Amino acid sequence: MKNEIWLTVIGLGLASFAIRLSGYFLALRLPQSGAWTRGLEALPGCLIAALVALMMLKGGTIELLAGGTVLLVAARTRNLPISMLVGILIVAGLRQFA
Amino acid sequence: MRASSETISDLLLGARDILPMAFAAATYGTAFGLVATQSGFSFLQSFTMSAMVFGGSAQLVALDQLTAGAGVAAAVVAGAALNLRILLITASMRAALIQRPWWQIATGVHLATDASVALMQTAKQRGALASYWYLFGGGALLLLVWVFSTSVGAVLSRGIPDPARFGLDFAIVAVFIALLPGLWRGKRDLAPWLTASGIVAVFVLTIPDFAGWALLFGAVSGAVVAGVRHEE
Repeated sequence: MKNEIWLTVIGLGLASFAIRLSGYFLALRLPQSGAWTRGLEALPGCLIAALVALMMLKGGTIELLAGGTVLLVAARTRNLPISMLVGILIVAGLRQFA
Repeated sequence: MRASSETISDLLLGARDILPMAFAAATYGTAFGLVATQSGFSFLQSFTMSAMVFGGSAQLVALDQLTAGAGVAAAVVAGAALNLRILLITASMRAALIQRPWWQIATGVHLATDASVALMQTAKQRGALASYWYLFGGGALLLLVWVFSTSVGAVLSRGIPDPARFGLDFAIVAVFIALLPGLWRGKRDLAPWLTASGIVAVFVLTIPDFAGWALLFGAVSGAVVAGVRHEE
Protein backbone atom coordinates (compact mmCIF):
# COMPACT_ATOMS: atom_id res chain seq x y z
CA MET A 1 0.00 0.00 0.00
CA LYS A 2 2.83 2.36 0.91
CA ASN A 3 4.41 2.03 -2.52
CA GLU A 4 1.03 2.32 -4.20
CA ILE A 5 0.44 5.62 -2.44
CA TRP A 6 3.84 6.97 -3.47
CA LEU A 7 3.32 5.89 -7.09
CA THR A 8 -0.09 7.61 -7.15
CA VAL A 9 1.24 10.78 -5.53
CA ILE A 10 4.19 11.10 -7.91
CA GLY A 11 2.22 9.90 -10.95
CA LEU A 12 -0.65 12.33 -10.42
CA GLY A 13 1.81 15.12 -9.60
CA LEU A 14 3.68 14.64 -12.88
CA ALA A 15 0.42 14.27 -14.82
CA SER A 16 -0.91 17.50 -13.31
CA PHE A 17 2.23 19.39 -14.28
CA ALA A 18 2.07 18.00 -17.82
CA ILE A 19 -1.58 19.11 -18.04
CA ARG A 20 -0.76 22.63 -16.85
CA LEU A 21 2.16 22.99 -19.24
CA SER A 22 0.27 21.64 -22.24
CA GLY A 23 -2.52 24.18 -21.77
CA TYR A 24 -0.03 26.99 -22.30
CA PHE A 25 1.60 25.35 -25.33
CA LEU A 26 -1.80 24.61 -26.79
CA ALA A 27 -2.74 28.29 -26.48
CA LEU A 28 0.51 29.28 -28.26
CA ARG A 29 -0.52 27.27 -31.31
CA LEU A 30 -4.07 28.52 -31.53
CA PRO A 31 -4.80 31.40 -33.89
CA GLN A 32 -5.25 34.69 -32.03
CA SER A 33 -8.26 35.94 -33.95
CA GLY A 34 -11.85 35.25 -34.93
CA ALA A 35 -13.72 32.23 -33.67
CA TRP A 36 -10.74 30.87 -31.69
CA THR A 37 -10.42 34.10 -29.72
CA ARG A 38 -14.14 34.28 -29.03
CA GLY A 39 -14.01 30.71 -27.80
CA LEU A 40 -10.92 31.22 -25.63
CA GLU A 41 -12.35 34.39 -24.12
CA ALA A 42 -15.56 32.58 -23.22
CA LEU A 43 -13.66 29.65 -21.71
CA PRO A 44 -13.16 30.87 -18.09
CA GLY A 45 -16.86 31.71 -17.71
CA CYS A 46 -17.93 28.39 -19.22
CA LEU A 47 -15.55 26.51 -16.93
CA ILE A 48 -16.80 28.18 -13.75
CA ALA A 49 -20.43 27.75 -14.89
CA ALA A 50 -19.71 24.04 -15.40
CA LEU A 51 -18.04 23.77 -11.97
CA VAL A 52 -20.97 25.46 -10.25
CA ALA A 53 -23.45 23.21 -12.06
CA LEU A 54 -21.52 20.17 -10.84
CA MET A 55 -21.37 21.42 -7.25
CA MET A 56 -25.05 22.38 -7.17
CA LEU A 57 -26.12 19.00 -8.53
CA LYS A 58 -24.22 17.33 -5.70
CA GLY A 59 -25.84 19.50 -3.02
CA GLY A 60 -29.26 19.33 -1.45
CA THR A 61 -31.98 21.91 -0.82
CA ILE A 62 -29.89 23.81 1.73
CA GLU A 63 -26.98 24.18 -0.67
CA LEU A 64 -29.33 25.26 -3.49
CA LEU A 65 -30.94 27.91 -1.29
CA ALA A 66 -27.57 29.18 -0.11
CA GLY A 67 -26.17 29.08 -3.64
CA GLY A 68 -29.05 31.16 -5.00
CA THR A 69 -28.60 33.72 -2.25
CA VAL A 70 -24.83 33.92 -2.83
CA LEU A 71 -25.49 34.58 -6.51
CA LEU A 72 -27.87 37.44 -5.68
CA VAL A 73 -25.52 38.96 -3.09
CA ALA A 74 -22.55 38.68 -5.45
CA ALA A 75 -24.48 40.27 -8.32
CA ARG A 76 -25.50 43.14 -6.06
CA THR A 77 -22.29 43.74 -4.10
CA ARG A 78 -19.58 42.30 -6.40
CA ASN A 79 -17.80 41.51 -3.15
CA LEU A 80 -16.28 38.04 -2.91
CA PRO A 81 -15.60 37.80 0.85
CA ILE A 82 -19.06 39.09 1.79
CA SER A 83 -20.79 36.74 -0.67
CA MET A 84 -18.78 33.81 0.66
CA LEU A 85 -19.57 34.65 4.27
CA VAL A 86 -23.31 34.90 3.55
CA GLY A 87 -23.22 31.46 1.93
CA ILE A 88 -21.36 29.87 4.84
CA LEU A 89 -23.69 31.43 7.40
CA ILE A 90 -26.84 30.27 5.59
CA VAL A 91 -25.54 26.72 5.22
CA ALA A 92 -24.32 26.57 8.84
CA GLY A 93 -27.61 28.03 10.10
CA LEU A 94 -29.93 25.80 8.10
CA ARG A 95 -27.94 22.66 8.93
CA GLN A 96 -28.71 23.19 12.60
CA PHE A 97 -32.33 22.34 11.77
CA ALA A 98 -31.69 19.65 9.19
CA MET B 1 14.65 49.78 -10.21
CA ARG B 2 11.16 50.85 -11.19
CA ALA B 3 10.50 47.48 -12.75
CA SER B 4 11.35 45.61 -9.56
CA SER B 5 9.15 47.74 -7.32
CA GLU B 6 6.34 47.12 -9.79
CA THR B 7 7.04 43.40 -9.47
CA ILE B 8 6.74 43.58 -5.70
CA SER B 9 3.53 45.57 -5.73
CA ASP B 10 2.03 43.11 -8.24
CA LEU B 11 3.07 40.20 -6.03
CA LEU B 12 1.46 41.78 -2.98
CA LEU B 13 -1.71 42.73 -4.85
CA GLY B 14 -2.08 39.17 -6.13
CA ALA B 15 -1.56 37.80 -2.62
CA ARG B 16 -4.19 40.19 -1.27
CA ASP B 17 -6.75 39.41 -3.97
CA ILE B 18 -6.42 35.64 -3.40
CA LEU B 19 -7.31 35.86 0.32
CA PRO B 20 -10.99 34.79 0.06
CA MET B 21 -9.96 31.80 -2.08
CA ALA B 22 -7.12 31.04 0.34
CA PHE B 23 -9.63 30.87 3.18
CA ALA B 24 -11.79 28.44 1.22
CA ALA B 25 -8.70 26.40 0.31
CA ALA B 26 -7.59 26.26 3.95
CA THR B 27 -10.81 24.55 5.05
CA TYR B 28 -10.71 22.17 2.08
CA GLY B 29 -6.99 21.46 2.64
CA THR B 30 -7.46 20.66 6.31
CA ALA B 31 -10.25 18.27 5.38
CA PHE B 32 -8.03 16.63 2.77
CA GLY B 33 -5.14 16.16 5.20
CA LEU B 34 -7.51 14.58 7.68
CA VAL B 35 -8.99 12.12 5.19
CA ALA B 36 -5.54 11.30 3.77
CA THR B 37 -4.11 10.37 7.17
CA GLN B 38 -7.17 8.29 7.96
CA SER B 39 -6.71 6.47 4.63
CA GLY B 40 -3.13 5.52 5.50
CA PHE B 41 -1.15 8.36 3.90
CA SER B 42 1.99 9.36 5.79
CA PHE B 43 2.57 13.02 6.54
CA LEU B 44 5.18 13.25 3.78
CA GLN B 45 2.81 11.65 1.29
CA SER B 46 -0.03 14.14 1.94
CA PHE B 47 2.48 16.99 1.90
CA THR B 48 4.04 15.89 -1.40
CA MET B 49 0.65 15.31 -2.99
CA SER B 50 -0.62 18.77 -2.10
CA ALA B 51 2.60 20.42 -3.28
CA MET B 52 2.72 18.53 -6.60
CA VAL B 53 -0.93 18.05 -7.57
CA PHE B 54 -2.29 21.34 -6.14
CA GLY B 55 -5.92 20.48 -6.86
CA GLY B 56 -8.29 19.51 -4.07
CA SER B 57 -10.87 17.55 -6.03
CA ALA B 58 -8.20 15.66 -8.02
CA GLN B 59 -6.39 14.68 -4.82
CA LEU B 60 -9.58 13.52 -3.11
CA VAL B 61 -10.71 11.46 -6.09
CA ALA B 62 -7.31 9.79 -6.51
CA LEU B 63 -7.21 8.99 -2.81
CA ASP B 64 -10.74 7.64 -2.98
CA GLN B 65 -9.94 5.38 -5.96
CA LEU B 66 -6.79 4.11 -4.25
CA THR B 67 -8.49 3.24 -0.97
CA ALA B 68 -11.33 1.61 -2.94
CA GLY B 69 -8.69 -0.75 -4.33
CA ALA B 70 -8.89 0.47 -7.92
CA GLY B 71 -5.10 0.48 -8.29
CA VAL B 72 -2.49 3.12 -9.06
CA ALA B 73 -3.32 3.58 -12.75
CA ALA B 74 -7.03 4.11 -12.14
CA ALA B 75 -6.31 6.53 -9.29
CA VAL B 76 -3.91 8.61 -11.41
CA VAL B 77 -6.27 8.70 -14.40
CA ALA B 78 -9.28 9.70 -12.27
CA GLY B 79 -7.30 12.47 -10.56
CA ALA B 80 -5.79 13.68 -13.82
CA ALA B 81 -9.25 13.82 -15.40
CA LEU B 82 -10.32 16.27 -12.70
CA ASN B 83 -7.20 18.39 -13.14
CA LEU B 84 -7.59 18.42 -16.95
CA ARG B 85 -9.69 21.56 -16.66
CA ILE B 86 -6.58 23.45 -15.50
CA LEU B 87 -5.33 23.03 -19.06
CA LEU B 88 -8.05 25.49 -20.03
CA ILE B 89 -6.86 27.91 -17.35
CA THR B 90 -3.17 27.87 -18.32
CA ALA B 91 -4.36 28.35 -21.89
CA SER B 92 -6.12 31.55 -20.89
CA MET B 93 -2.98 32.70 -19.00
CA ARG B 94 -1.11 32.90 -22.32
CA ALA B 95 -0.71 36.68 -22.30
CA ALA B 96 0.95 36.67 -18.86
CA LEU B 97 3.30 33.78 -19.61
CA ILE B 98 4.44 34.52 -23.15
CA GLN B 99 8.06 35.67 -23.62
CA ARG B 100 8.99 34.67 -20.08
CA PRO B 101 12.05 32.51 -19.42
CA TRP B 102 11.26 28.78 -19.32
CA TRP B 103 11.62 28.46 -15.55
CA GLN B 104 9.11 31.27 -15.01
CA ILE B 105 6.69 29.57 -17.39
CA ALA B 106 7.15 26.28 -15.52
CA THR B 107 6.53 27.95 -12.15
CA GLY B 108 3.68 30.06 -13.48
CA VAL B 109 1.72 27.12 -14.89
CA HIS B 110 2.25 25.09 -11.72
CA LEU B 111 0.61 27.88 -9.71
CA ALA B 112 -2.49 27.86 -11.94
CA THR B 113 -5.76 26.79 -10.30
CA ASP B 114 -9.43 27.71 -10.55
CA ALA B 115 -8.54 30.66 -8.32
CA SER B 116 -6.38 32.04 -11.16
CA VAL B 117 -9.63 32.64 -13.04
CA ALA B 118 -10.76 34.80 -10.14
CA LEU B 119 -7.48 36.74 -10.20
CA MET B 120 -7.68 37.37 -13.94
CA GLN B 121 -11.27 38.49 -13.46
CA THR B 122 -10.35 40.87 -10.64
CA ALA B 123 -7.54 42.39 -12.71
CA LYS B 124 -9.91 42.84 -15.64
CA GLN B 125 -12.42 44.71 -13.47
CA ARG B 126 -9.60 47.09 -12.56
CA GLY B 127 -9.08 47.63 -16.27
CA ALA B 128 -5.74 45.82 -16.56
CA LEU B 129 -4.56 42.44 -17.76
CA ALA B 130 -3.34 40.14 -14.98
CA SER B 131 0.47 40.37 -15.01
CA TYR B 132 2.81 37.43 -14.47
CA TRP B 133 3.84 38.55 -10.97
CA TYR B 134 0.26 39.31 -9.97
CA LEU B 135 -0.76 35.73 -10.80
CA PHE B 136 2.46 34.47 -9.20
CA GLY B 137 1.82 36.30 -5.93
CA GLY B 138 -1.71 34.95 -5.66
CA GLY B 139 -0.79 31.43 -6.78
CA ALA B 140 2.22 31.17 -4.47
CA LEU B 141 0.24 32.25 -1.41
CA LEU B 142 -2.53 29.82 -2.31
CA LEU B 143 -0.01 26.96 -2.67
CA LEU B 144 1.53 27.80 0.71
CA VAL B 145 -1.88 27.87 2.39
CA TRP B 146 -2.89 24.68 0.62
CA VAL B 147 0.22 22.74 1.67
CA PHE B 148 0.15 24.18 5.19
CA SER B 149 -3.54 23.40 5.79
CA THR B 150 -3.09 19.87 4.42
CA SER B 151 -0.23 19.39 6.88
CA VAL B 152 -2.32 20.71 9.77
CA GLY B 153 -5.12 18.30 8.86
CA ALA B 154 -2.65 15.43 8.51
CA VAL B 155 -0.99 16.12 11.86
CA LEU B 156 -4.16 16.64 13.87
CA SER B 157 -6.16 14.03 11.95
CA ARG B 158 -8.39 13.57 14.98
CA GLY B 159 -10.02 16.09 17.23
CA ILE B 160 -10.83 18.59 14.49
CA PRO B 161 -14.55 19.38 14.55
CA ASP B 162 -16.38 18.46 11.36
CA PRO B 163 -16.05 21.49 9.03
CA ALA B 164 -19.48 20.74 7.56
CA ARG B 165 -21.09 21.60 10.88
CA PHE B 166 -20.01 25.20 10.44
CA GLY B 167 -20.87 25.31 6.76
CA LEU B 168 -17.17 25.61 5.93
CA ASP B 169 -17.35 22.98 3.21
CA PHE B 170 -19.60 25.44 1.38
CA ALA B 171 -16.89 28.13 1.28
CA ILE B 172 -15.37 26.81 -1.94
CA VAL B 173 -18.80 26.47 -3.59
CA ALA B 174 -19.70 30.02 -2.59
CA VAL B 175 -16.46 31.35 -4.10
CA PHE B 176 -17.24 29.90 -7.51
CA ILE B 177 -20.86 31.09 -7.44
CA ALA B 178 -19.71 34.57 -6.42
CA LEU B 179 -17.38 34.64 -9.45
CA LEU B 180 -20.26 34.21 -11.90
CA PRO B 181 -21.66 37.79 -11.96
CA GLY B 182 -18.19 39.16 -12.69
CA LEU B 183 -17.56 36.67 -15.48
CA TRP B 184 -20.93 37.35 -17.11
CA ARG B 185 -20.38 39.50 -20.20
CA GLY B 186 -24.04 39.88 -21.12
CA LYS B 187 -26.52 37.96 -23.25
CA ARG B 188 -23.86 36.52 -25.54
CA ASP B 189 -22.72 34.33 -22.64
CA LEU B 190 -26.16 32.76 -22.16
CA ALA B 191 -25.91 30.03 -24.82
CA PRO B 192 -22.29 29.04 -23.97
CA TRP B 193 -23.00 28.88 -20.22
CA LEU B 194 -26.22 26.89 -20.69
CA THR B 195 -24.32 24.51 -22.96
CA ALA B 196 -21.51 24.07 -20.44
CA SER B 197 -23.71 23.54 -17.39
CA GLY B 198 -26.29 21.50 -19.33
CA ILE B 199 -23.66 19.03 -20.53
CA VAL B 200 -22.29 18.69 -17.00
CA ALA B 201 -25.80 18.02 -15.71
CA VAL B 202 -26.48 15.34 -18.32
CA PHE B 203 -23.11 13.70 -17.57
CA VAL B 204 -23.60 13.72 -13.81
CA LEU B 205 -27.13 12.36 -14.00
CA THR B 206 -26.19 9.55 -16.40
CA ILE B 207 -22.56 8.60 -15.62
CA PRO B 208 -21.72 10.22 -12.26
CA ASP B 209 -18.19 8.76 -12.07
CA PHE B 210 -16.84 10.91 -14.88
CA ALA B 211 -17.11 14.36 -13.33
CA GLY B 212 -13.65 15.38 -14.55
CA TRP B 213 -14.43 14.63 -18.17
CA ALA B 214 -17.84 16.25 -17.79
CA LEU B 215 -16.18 19.50 -16.69
CA LEU B 216 -13.73 19.51 -19.58
CA PHE B 217 -16.27 18.49 -22.20
CA GLY B 218 -18.89 20.94 -20.88
CA ALA B 219 -16.53 23.93 -20.74
CA VAL B 220 -15.03 23.25 -24.17
CA SER B 221 -18.49 22.81 -25.72
CA GLY B 222 -19.57 26.12 -24.23
CA ALA B 223 -16.48 27.80 -25.66
CA VAL B 224 -17.15 26.24 -29.07
CA VAL B 225 -20.68 27.66 -29.01
CA ALA B 226 -19.22 31.08 -28.17
CA GLY B 227 -16.64 30.74 -30.94
CA VAL B 228 -19.05 29.69 -33.65
CA ARG B 229 -21.65 32.38 -32.94
CA HIS B 230 -21.06 35.76 -34.52
CA GLU B 231 -23.40 38.28 -32.94
CA GLU B 232 -21.95 40.56 -30.30
